[in-house]
Amino acid sequence: MLWHKAWVETRWRALVGLGVLLCSAGGAVLLYPQLMKLVPNAPPADAGSIIARQIREAADLMRDYRGYVFAQWFRQPQLWTIMAAILGTGGLLTQGAALFTLSMPVSRERLIGVRALVGLVELLALAIIPTLLLPLLSPVVGESYPLGDALVHALCMFVAGTVFFSLAFLLSTAFADVWRPLLLTLAAAVALVSIELLLRRTGAHGVFGVMSGDSYFRTGRLPWLGLFASAAASAAMLWLAALSISRRDF
Amino acid sequence: MLFRPNPSSGVPIYLQLMEQVKHAIETGALRPGEQLPGIRPLAEELVINPNTVAKAYRELEHEGVIELRHGAGAFVADSARPKKITDRLRAAQTVVAAAVERLRERGVNDEEIRRLFEAELAGLSKTKAGGHRG
Amino acid sequence: MAEPSVIDVANLRKAWADVEAVNGLTLQVPAGSIFGFLGRNGAGKTTTIKVLLGMVRPSGGTARVFELPADAPASSVEIRRRTGFVSEEKDLIDYMTVGEIVRFTAAFYPRWRRDLEEKYLRAFELPSDRKVKLLSRGMRTKLALLLALCRGAELLVLDEPTSGLDPAMTEEVLQALVAHAAGEGMTVFFSSHQIAEVDQIADRVAIIERGRTVVCGALDDLRERYRRVQLVFDGDAPAASFRAPGIVRVRRRGRVLTVLSSSGADAILDEARALAPVATDVVPVTLKEIFLETIAAEE
Repeated sequence: MLWHKAWVETRWRALVGLGVLLCSAGGAVLLYPQLMKLVPNAPPADAGSIIARQIREAADLMRDYRGYVFAQWFRQPQLWTIMAAILGTGGLLTQGAALFTLSMPVSRERLIGVRALVGLVELLALAIIPTLLLPLLSPVVGESYPLGDALVHALCMFVAGTVFFSLAFLLSTAFADVWRPLLLTLAAAVALVSIELLLRRTGAHGVFGVMSGDSYFRTGRLPWLGLFASAAASAAMLWLAALSISRRDF
Repeated sequence: MLFRPNPSSGVPIYLQLMEQVKHAIETGALRPGEQLPGIRPLAEELVINPNTVAKAYRELEHEGVIELRHGAGAFVADSARPKKITDRLRAAQTVVAAAVERLRERGVNDEEIRRLFEAELAGLSKTKAGGHRG
Repeated sequence: MAEPSVIDVANLRKAWADVEAVNGLTLQVPAGSIFGFLGRNGAGKTTTIKVLLGMVRPSGGTARVFELPADAPASSVEIRRRTGFVSEEKDLIDYMTVGEIVRFTAAFYPRWRRDLEEKYLRAFELPSDRKVKLLSRGMRTKLALLLALCRGAELLVLDEPTSGLDPAMTEEVLQALVAHAAGEGMTVFFSSHQIAEVDQIADRVAIIERGRTVVCGALDDLRERYRRVQLVFDGDAPAASFRAPGIVRVRRRGRVLTVLSSSGADAILDEARALAPVATDVVPVTLKEIFLETIAAEE
């Protein structure tokens, strides 16, 4: 019954998120022909501003279809980070029914564990299903995208996404509203982006590097260190969340 | 027949209940040999604690007003005893009437008379209760 | 009287940031009793109840339910398996319908009483397909009560069960509680500041003030022990102090000395003889007066 309850409480945002991501993936594929026409107009390699250089970089990547998909979809972390954070919010504190649920003969660890697991399964589905749309839809624009690539990228997205899911989840055990955990997680994401830009070296193993599957795209090798670091960070934050809930007075 | 006791009157509910049962026997609403309501149904009906009903029944049995037949329930005791109580109460009523009359003659008003009786009973009830413990 | 208590609280303490909500509270609830827990708002009733159900962790002292420690997570789960609870706010899952929340709760209790469920759904007139958040306050309370009563529990813990209810519904709730204590042999522990209802159905009572128990005992016993002794004097009443035990309060006003005693009137009357009062009056005390006077004496 706890599983069903956790699903009922998160299903709308999961389904809406799925819809948004499906549109985004589908859009990326279907807009391919139009966007390809714009590539020759990209600024030259030695252009001045950062934005111009980024556009150049993206254009360079889009030399083949696989690169296009990478640049257009996997390398855009914003939507996925937001989705992951949204899935992590909610929980016991935001419900008015906390005392009722807590009067059931279940441990707090179980309550929070079920909720976390349901959220993670939803996150996985949101990583895999829209990504699978890529190989499915590509023939429409006359291209093909390897299924194996899609699955690997989905996995990387998922693992990196758990970091923001878990952060939002942990913050939800401290704040009773949905907004503060969400905004704080997104602020942390922005901070992380800045740090990773500054450090450059994290490249393929930083959270966003893993999310885009950068090293797999460029070298065909999975970013094992990054995957492990992300998974470990998520696990630690979820464990802290369980601890926080167990010790809380309601 | 048995109506709700007043919990705020200062008189213990079980005593009120006992009085009601005795009064019911007096007026013939309950006849000798007749069965009284069960403890649980009565507690539910009057919305009072079942232990209170049980206590009232126990005290009534002790006074010989009712019989508690194991497994069968509570029954009004056979004809001889209720009559005894009726006689006793009638005699008591005469005593009280005389006392009230005398006090009124002395100019004591009704409210004062009531307080005097209550005070006297309150002072005595502790020793009386002491005898009934167990 | 060697039967263990269903609830056994000893010297319980709970401090929030800067407030001592519970400050050395002690009480025992015997099995099968209907126990009324009286106190003003903010006296510590809800905190105590939450400690018993594992929702709040105590700062000190012990609280045991079914002889299990209430603050150990594993025993707390066991306690909740055998306890039905209704919170002060009548906490329920608002987005579910009546039918859904009944099924949800039933799933956690293998001893769920289907027969009682049907009986109370009918008696309380609760529509299965109505969303909980659309229920009136009275219906909400009745639903919360149903969910607590059908669990097949041995103990019922209720925080102000009749607050906000009209007299007819209050009586319905009290009747259900009495029926369960009698019929199912449940122990009922309820907090209230409606003295009348405690008077009516409880057989044991505790009065709590500022986080401590100030009165605890069988209600009949209290009614027999508490007495108000009024002494009238010719001149101004003397500033007497009594050595008799159990004196709650002594008040002097003009020519009258009033003593509230929790141990009967005899000892006081004995001592009072030396003061030569003109008149003495001994009056029984209602629970309401015991409550108000004891609380006033604490200040």
